[in-house]
Amino acid sequence: MSLTAFLTDTTLCIGCKACEVACKEWNEVPDDGMIWSGLSYDNTKSLGSSTWRHVMFLEQPLAAGPQAVDTKDPFRWLFLSDVCKHCANAGCLEACPTGSIVRTEFGSVFVQPDVCNGCGYCVVSCPFGVVDKRPDDGRAFKCTFCYDRQRAGLVPACAKACPTESIRFGKLDELRERARNRVGELRHRGFKDANIYDPTESSVGGVHAFFVILGQPEAYNFPPAPEVPTIHLKSAWTSALVSAIILFAAVCAAFAFSAVR
Amino acid sequence: MAENHPVAFQWVMEAREKGAQVIHVDPRFTRTSAVANIWTPVRAGSDILLLGALVNYVLTTESDFREYIVHYTNAPVILREDFKDTEDLDGIFSGWDPEKKAYDPQTWIYEGVHSNIGDVPGSDKGPDGGHATHGVNAATDLNDYHVDPTLQHSRCVYQVLRRHYVRYTPEMVEKYCGVSKDAFLHLAKAYCEASGPDKTGAICYAVGWTQHSSGVQIIRTAAILQLLLGNIGRPGGGVMALRGHASIQGSTDIPTLFDILPGYLNMPKLGPASASLDKYIEVNKPETGWWNNFDKYIVSLLKAYYGDAATPQNEFGFHWLPRITGDHSHQGYLLEMMDGKMEGLFVMGQNPAVAGPNSGIERRALGKLKWLVVREMVESETAAFWYDSPEVHRGELLPEEIGTEVFLMPAAGHAEKEGTFTNTERLLQWREKAVDPPDDVRSENWFIYHLSRRLKEKAARDARSRNSGLRALTMDYPLEGKHQEPNAEAILQEINGWTVADRKLVSGFPALKADGSTACGCWIYSGVFPNPGENRANQRAPKDSYAHGWGFAWPSDRRIIYNRASARPDGKPWSERKKLVWWDDADKKWTGLDVPDFTATKAPDYKPPKGAKGDAALAGDKPFILHADGMGWIWVPVGLADGPLPAHYEPFESPVRNPMYPRTQSNPVALKKEREGTEYAASPDERFPFVLTTYRITEHHTAGGMSRTLSHLAELQPELFCEISVELAAKLGIQPGEWVTVATPRGEIEAHALVTPRIQALSIGGKIVHQVGLPFHWGYSGLVKGDIANDLVAISEEPNVRIMEAKGLLCNVKRGRRSPDDKIKDMRDSRMENRA
Amino acid sequence: MAQSDNANSTRRPKATEERLDQIRREAAATGGVPVASGGAGHAAPPVALPGKTDAAGSYYNLPVLKEPTWTWEVPLYFFLGGVAGVSSCIALAAQFFSGDPALIRAALWMALAGAAICPILLIADLGRPSRFLNMLRVFKIQSPMSVGAWTLVAFSGCAFLAVLGNELVLRGFSSPLLVAMLWTGEISAAATGLILASYTGVLVGATAIPVWSENRKLLPPHFLTSGLGSAAGILELVGFLTSATQILGLISAGIETLIGGSIELRRRNVDIPLHYGKSGWFMRIAGTLEGPVALLLRIIWHSYPIGRYAAAACFIAGAVASRFAWIWAGRVSARDPHALFQLQTGKANSSRPA
Repeated sequence: MSLTAFLTDTTLCIGCKACEVACKEWNEVPDDGMIWSGLSYDNTKSLGSSTWRHVMFLEQPLAAGPQAVDTKDPFRWLFLSDVCKHCANAGCLEACPTGSIVRTEFGSVFVQPDVCNGCGYCVVSCPFGVVDKRPDDGRAFKCTFCYDRQRAGLVPACAKACPTESIRFGKLDELRERARNRVGELRHRGFKDANIYDPTESSVGGVHAFFVILGQPEAYNFPPAPEVPTIHLKSAWTSALVSAIILFAAVCAAFAFSAVR
Repeated sequence: MAENHPVAFQWVMEAREKGAQVIHVDPRFTRTSAVANIWTPVRAGSDILLLGALVNYVLTTESDFREYIVHYTNAPVILREDFKDTEDLDGIFSGWDPEKKAYDPQTWIYEGVHSNIGDVPGSDKGPDGGHATHGVNAATDLNDYHVDPTLQHSRCVYQVLRRHYVRYTPEMVEKYCGVSKDAFLHLAKAYCEASGPDKTGAICYAVGWTQHSSGVQIIRTAAILQLLLGNIGRPGGGVMALRGHASIQGSTDIPTLFDILPGYLNMPKLGPASASLDKYIEVNKPETGWWNNFDKYIVSLLKAYYGDAATPQNEFGFHWLPRITGDHSHQGYLLEMMDGKMEGLFVMGQNPAVAGPNSGIERRALGKLKWLVVREMVESETAAFWYDSPEVHRGELLPEEIGTEVFLMPAAGHAEKEGTFTNTERLLQWREKAVDPPDDVRSENWFIYHLSRRLKEKAARDARSRNSGLRALTMDYPLEGKHQEPNAEAILQEINGWTVADRKLVSGFPALKADGSTACGCWIYSGVFPNPGENRANQRAPKDSYAHGWGFAWPSDRRIIYNRASARPDGKPWSERKKLVWWDDADKKWTGLDVPDFTATKAPDYKPPKGAKGDAALAGDKPFILHADGMGWIWVPVGLADGPLPAHYEPFESPVRNPMYPRTQSNPVALKKEREGTEYAASPDERFPFVLTTYRITEHHTAGGMSRTLSHLAELQPELFCEISVELAAKLGIQPGEWVTVATPRGEIEAHALVTPRIQALSIGGKIVHQVGLPFHWGYSGLVKGDIANDLVAISEEPNVRIMEAKGLLCNVKRGRRSPDDKIKDMRDSRMENRA
Repeated sequence: MAQSDNANSTRRPKATEERLDQIRREAAATGGVPVASGGAGHAAPPVALPGKTDAAGSYYNLPVLKEPTWTWEVPLYFFLGGVAGVSSCIALAAQFFSGDPALIRAALWMALAGAAICPILLIADLGRPSRFLNMLRVFKIQSPMSVGAWTLVAFSGCAFLAVLGNELVLRGFSSPLLVAMLWTGEISAAATGLILASYTGVLVGATAIPVWSENRKLLPPHFLTSGLGSAAGILELVGFLTSATQILGLISAGIETLIGGSIELRRRNVDIPLHYGKSGWFMRIAGTLEGPVALLLRIIWHSYPIGRYAAAACFIAGAVASRFAWIWAGRVSARDPHALFQLQTGKANSSRPA
């Protein structure tokens, strides 16, 4: 079974939010609140337990490559559909104490809703702020990578609905190569700040849902160097061990001292 | 297009990725603008100025596709000497009657052609406009024009066009449209470079153009541009209307418009012109061109309507057709309703309480009816007007005093019924029924069929002659299932048509006859169901890049109409790259990648004999077969109420005086329908200094009945907002997100301020003009609610198709919310107490 | 999910339809769907300035990370787990050095009481409490929460053995087996107790929350010390005003003073929640109570019972507060995208102007 991936390309996105809706319709995800944010056309604001695809709207005082807009100052409006990154080394998966979060045969990270008991540890272990607990349900939810659809040989709902193929679904290595070619092509066309967001250099080890973006990751609230929190374990446990030994020694000393007196 | 047709827009993206230039012009920077190669703003209402300047650019740079326009358009046609242009008469054309406020279009016709108008006793001088006037027999011999193929004659269309647009310069565009000269020239150059034998460009538009008092003329300017550049009838060219509803093309083909019958036949008007079928045909059937078959279509339609009761003796029941007696358009009957002259109304799949022009008047007018039937999937604002409208909340109307009996009938959704949609490509696509509708929910077919059946039953018992038409109507479709649903395929077959004697389906409209031996519900759809079991609308096997084999495009599955123009006069393609149809000299017929929109055996060098009629009267190099002269109309000789050429008029409410024609501020033929409660601002008006435009966004659909009632859509855009520029926000001290009140002479509404650089402050006529944008999707029903933008719109009528001007208005914007309803509720309560 | 009926378990009907009906009922009753600030309309304008995503380069200043969802049960558990775990060490050390049997008994019972209450707190905090046993489906050494869950179970068992053994021994049953059980129980309880009292620091430190992960070496010793002083303090409050408890109290307060001082001196951007705003002040109060206040009270008032009671009470109050303060700081930290970005682009450790 080959590993599958999402390539989401801001230069092809038209901000239609079909992905958000298709995901919710297929996965029966409840609405996330009828709240107007005033942040451009983004009333969803972030991924969460009841939002598994989130379209971002960036109004920036920059040019979009060679685009010619008749404005006084440079301007561009970028759209990008955010999703769970399905990390190669996933913080949520490592942290999950019940074993609810597993790696599927497609390489995706999947929360088994019949196992999750809502401990909330995955929530603080995700370096991208994706997974969250659903308040009126108690369990943790995130993008399933349409595990059920993939098992049936179908394409995930968001990729299926995306009219411009800004969201592409396919084999991991093929899409990685496509992303590289795409960025090269975009730069050649004049989009000098085209980049791939796929943090392969960090401890996350690369993600299975990666992006072609214009500009820096921070503008999209993508952490520039995300780490899987397990890298912190060694130093933390070492500190715990050393302190425990010292504490025990101190306790013994206290009693030894008072036994003497 | 990305906003409102995102799925279709994928093809634009694909084209862009292959190197096509996507040029977007819009008062706002939308999601389309974000991915376009070129974007310019435009002051809402200044479109003819911009497009006219593009026409002028093409002419002054001689970028026109010369061979195309000489052969295929009426550019070389010589006009009458007594024609006077807007340049001569400061904004009006010759033939203006200031008392009637209408034109006598005699002087607009070609030189040497004899005009019919006025010869038919009782017919008005000049058409009233309408959706199907290009076929009227306004001239017996429109085909008898004279030409100058060198385009030098001072009265040929080409030269008149030059003179007409000579003052539409890039400087004027910069000064009055808000597009910088450089941007304009960049755009013009890019577009001209994308046209010619090897390349084509397409123009796509939507209600940003149509909803103006000169809406038709705006589109005309685009059509002129496309004809000059040789972009009509060719792949990748054309003028595409992006319609605002999934099947609204179908709702003009098989019309819900008062002035046409299926297939764009004119609805008869009360008067001598419709006194008899022969008279009616005489007025509507030109001698030349394809519309010479008009009689076949009307008779076949009448046979479809009235079946055996339609005979040659009783003129096939022609007298049973209703007659137009006035303005029965939406605005027309709206005002009749307001004046208490209407008893009842059926509202099906429409929501005038939100979407109508001056929707406050709509809601008041509904309260004057005796009965109202609303067929809807949800309880729309129209159905709930009597207890939930702003007028009720403000105490201006009391439910106790509204005498309208409202019937809310549940309507089936698109997956609960079968039938076709016809989309903007003229494509009929069949929809299967996925589930039966629950409970009392029913389809339109069911409703109309069974209502008619009951009325027919009543009429059968009532012998008065006024019911004879009702008695004669044929409604014999097989009924199926527990609901007794009329079989939709049977209806489609009737639309396709058959020979009456044996009920054998016809293969297409060429088989239709005028002697009553054929019946056809809509001639342009004929061919969709040519054999039993062959529902071409339901075919799903595309076999080429034009998707023949997927659905059925009218007419006759021609995917690009007027495609004869994709070949040279000699029949060979203009280029290998842009070949579409061509003449096969071996087989002596037209062939190619599309179904030829041309008589298959008519040779390219065919010259019509003198006195030839119909299609035979058109030469082999005349692609526009629905025109009596076979040519693309750069100049419109007949059929439009407000001029043969588009001229820039300001919208009824404008921040500037008309810079092109100071004495003619706005379209002289368009109607203001002004009255108490629906006043207009002055132009300009200190009280209303900003330009207001209304529009749609991706997340919601029309009046919101199908989107604000679904949580997954409602949450995407839960509240009404208005888009204002950073400069305007600074000027008025408006903080991002806070409540603002937008006011016009018709009313005021409140919205959140979305402050954004996507709206630009424009310099117009030497002063800064701010534009304000409002999406129109909100109302008082549904999961998410908001004020109704169309409360701000005036009731106006474009002269040809009577559409209202919702895209260019004047408004004022203030910080803060409008008067709270509960404050006014107190007033209402005290009124109630006083009455008790 | 179409296939699995577990996505929205049989405990509730399909989320969408139910929710839709609920919304409709709400809308019918109130005339609208409640929005963020209640009623039709917003009080607060949104955060974003027009024209820019954010001057410092985030997406509208919106948080990147998700805040911890833990409610009061969790910090309280941190506290009680620390007390229970260290109590068993105290019991063992006292046992070893032939300390007061009453004190040993009290310490063992504290350990067991903690072991009894802690699971209740944890289960109560779960989103699906009925599924608490799923914590024991697997053992994952890389998940501090898994380690903790198993440790709690082991500790409970060992504490129970120790208490049982001790009670029986106290009542005169002193068979070698029983004594062996007692010692085994005490030693293993102490060992697992040390893990119990310190692992929570690792749990909090090995996360994506910047203020936690950047203080991960500080948290285990802080939680341990805090637990030590609290256990000793509780023993004092029930009457064990001995020199051992005084020494332990002094050591704890002294170390907490040093820890609090080092936090105060840290000036990294990630530490902003520890210094500023409501979370900062709460942290400071907690640290002061645990640190200098308890220390001074012990030093100055050591010879009066009231002084020791006061010192113990202050320390305990500070210890409890400190757990809550760290969770609060975590929430604040999760909300700050800039701290996260700066941390990752290497600027977190540079000094801010004081």
